[in-house]
Amino acid sequence: MNAVPLVLYVAALVAYWWHFSRREPAVGRTATTLLVFAALAHTFVIGMKTMEIGVVPIISPSSAISTFVWLLALGYLYTEMTTDERAMGAFILPLLVALQAISAFKSGVDTAAAPILQGPLFSIHVLSLSLAYASLGLACMIGVTYVLLFKEIKAKQLGFFYARLPSLQVLDTMNQRAVILGWVFLTIGLIAGFIWTPQARAYTDDPRIKAMSLADPTIFVAVLCWAVYSFEAWIARRMGWGGRRTAYLSALAFVFVLLNFVPISYFLTRSHNF
Amino acid sequence: MHLILVGVSHRTAPVELRERLDFQARGLETALRALADSGATREAAVVSTCNRAEIYAVCDDIQAARSELGRFISQFHGIEQAALLPHLYDLVDLEAARHLFRVASGLDSLVVGEPQILGQVKDAHASAGQAQTVGPLLNRLFHSSFGVGKRVRTETALGSGAVSIGFAAVALAKKIFGDLKGRNVLVVGAGEMGKLTAVHMKSQGVSRVTIVSRTMAHAARTAEEIGGASAAPWEEIDAALGASDIVITATGAAQPILTKGRIESVMRPRRSRPLFIIDIAMPRDVEAAAAEIEQVFLYNIDDLQLAVNENLARRASEVDRAEQIVTEEVEKFGGWFRSRGAIPTVVALRQHAEQIRRSELDRLAFKMASLPPEARGRVDEITRLIVEKLLLTPTEQLKGLGDSETIHTYTEVVTRLFGLSPATNDEDRDARHRDKDNVEPFRPASGSFDRRKTGR
Repeated sequence: MNAVPLVLYVAALVAYWWHFSRREPAVGRTATTLLVFAALAHTFVIGMKTMEIGVVPIISPSSAISTFVWLLALGYLYTEMTTDERAMGAFILPLLVALQAISAFKSGVDTAAAPILQGPLFSIHVLSLSLAYASLGLACMIGVTYVLLFKEIKAKQLGFFYARLPSLQVLDTMNQRAVILGWVFLTIGLIAGFIWTPQARAYTDDPRIKAMSLADPTIFVAVLCWAVYSFEAWIARRMGWGGRRTAYLSALAFVFVLLNFVPISYFLTRSHNF
Repeated sequence: MHLILVGVSHRTAPVELRERLDFQARGLETALRALADSGATREAAVVSTCNRAEIYAVCDDIQAARSELGRFISQFHGIEQAALLPHLYDLVDLEAARHLFRVASGLDSLVVGEPQILGQVKDAHASAGQAQTVGPLLNRLFHSSFGVGKRVRTETALGSGAVSIGFAAVALAKKIFGDLKGRNVLVVGAGEMGKLTAVHMKSQGVSRVTIVSRTMAHAARTAEEIGGASAAPWEEIDAALGASDIVITATGAAQPILTKGRIESVMRPRRSRPLFIIDIAMPRDVEAAAAEIEQVFLYNIDDLQLAVNENLARRASEVDRAEQIVTEEVEKFGGWFRSRGAIPTVVALRQHAEQIRRSELDRLAFKMASLPPEARGRVDEITRLIVEKLLLTPTEQLKGLGDSETIHTYTEVVTRLFGLSPATNDEDRDARHRDKDNVEPFRPASGSFDRRKTGR
């Protein structure tokens, strides 16, 4: 089922790249339309899965990645439609395609959730973290585009990115907003997880619940991400950091997020492998 | 009917002559009415900008119209014909259409791809509409040209990038700050270049322009000339730097006045707020090492000129694509234009059929006299419908013909088969010769306009 949105994401990726390279408005509109269809198809797939298992499919790593891709696509579409700026699609779509491909080709099994995973705290934990990662993914891509444009202007070589990207100020503002939004959801998600874990331990002997501590790679990296984003938000507010330095920080922190998504959640975690 | 263009442009006439040929100065509508009163044309429109003065007209006789329009331009502006004629050019039919399409898309502009020209062509059409000097042919031509201009702008990068130092500086500032509204500009030096760049910035809605000069009186005078700007004493330059987003330096100082250290000390309290410095002084006012400071974007006049040159080169590389679009649109317009050659035959054929119908009804009138009025009306309607249906296919076929030769052959055949009046096919005969080689330089004959028949 995940293959249908994947095909549409690939088609949208091609259209966004074409638009980025040739800057033909008709191609740009086609790219947005394809992405809207991809997001709709993805919504349908997630909806069907939800009806099948009774909860939003975010338990297995593959489903969590797919939900993250869906939220990131929606977040990007919202950004594009509110800023009327398509250039960043060329940077976001590769990430969407790569993650959706992992999700489509390495499908996990989402069975009906255990009673311990059905409470509101657990839902808040997972949904908040998904939203946080989607926002932080956007921040990373915006940060990358900022750095590319900054380097061109600084080096006085007004070329490819200069002609295609929005202004540094717009990119910086979007990056900071995405980081703040991501940080808020990350905080909510972690707090919900920390409250939920002792409650869960009291009800079950499941070794995965027992393994939930800072020593677990997933939890450790999530907390590390929170620390990096907290530092970024704090230093931007208190020290007036912005521009290239926060853009680099956004990109670096998102590398941790990706680490948590793919290698750690598939191979290393002892707690988050439901 | 023919389409003809007579005029001058920056390619054929020097600015001294072009400024004397400004139709706008005396009012476009006055010119159009004078042209209509002269009776030289069936339809007319005038495109008048600082780089061109062109009359687009519809006429029956190309040579006569060529002479009349040349004489009109000369008399309207009070310029000796001998002084004007070497600079005039004329184009007819599809070459005139091609020229207008190139003008509307910016291909014929002094600065290729400049955006104002499309609006000016639209204004020319609107003025002709108000003066009621445009008809179906010029309406179609101008509306097609708007479409071509829009297509070239959206499908090519012909109009992209700034092509003057001032606009390049504004474009760069916008790429750094986004909207320039609410930004502060500091001009160091009270010279002309700094003032001009500041005026460009001001036109973009910056909130404050401050002039700093070693002589306060000069700064105050420049601020007054810019309008809405303020002057500050030289001693307050560091404070002004700290409060500014864009700095334009244009002093005559022999040594850099803004060193790296000085800018670093100003940047510290600004945190990460960017500072865009445009150094247009020669020798430079800003130490080159200042560009190493994070969030300082330093551009000198050579950097800006390089950006301008790159944009010009980029525009030049888009010319072929734009010309291709123009050619496609000329072909489309040509299809419609040539099909007009069959119209007199179509009209003559329909008049012929109607005449036969009427005469037959008249001949049978005494036999139908006994019929009630309703029945006579029914007979009239039925015969009319029969004629309409019989002529529908031939009419569509004639109007849909593509090239002049085929149109000519078909109209000749129809004319002979139905015995139509030969006079009705004059237009068609002319159409046969239209597309061969209809570009001809303006050639006066010893003090008067050439009245030779085209013979083409």
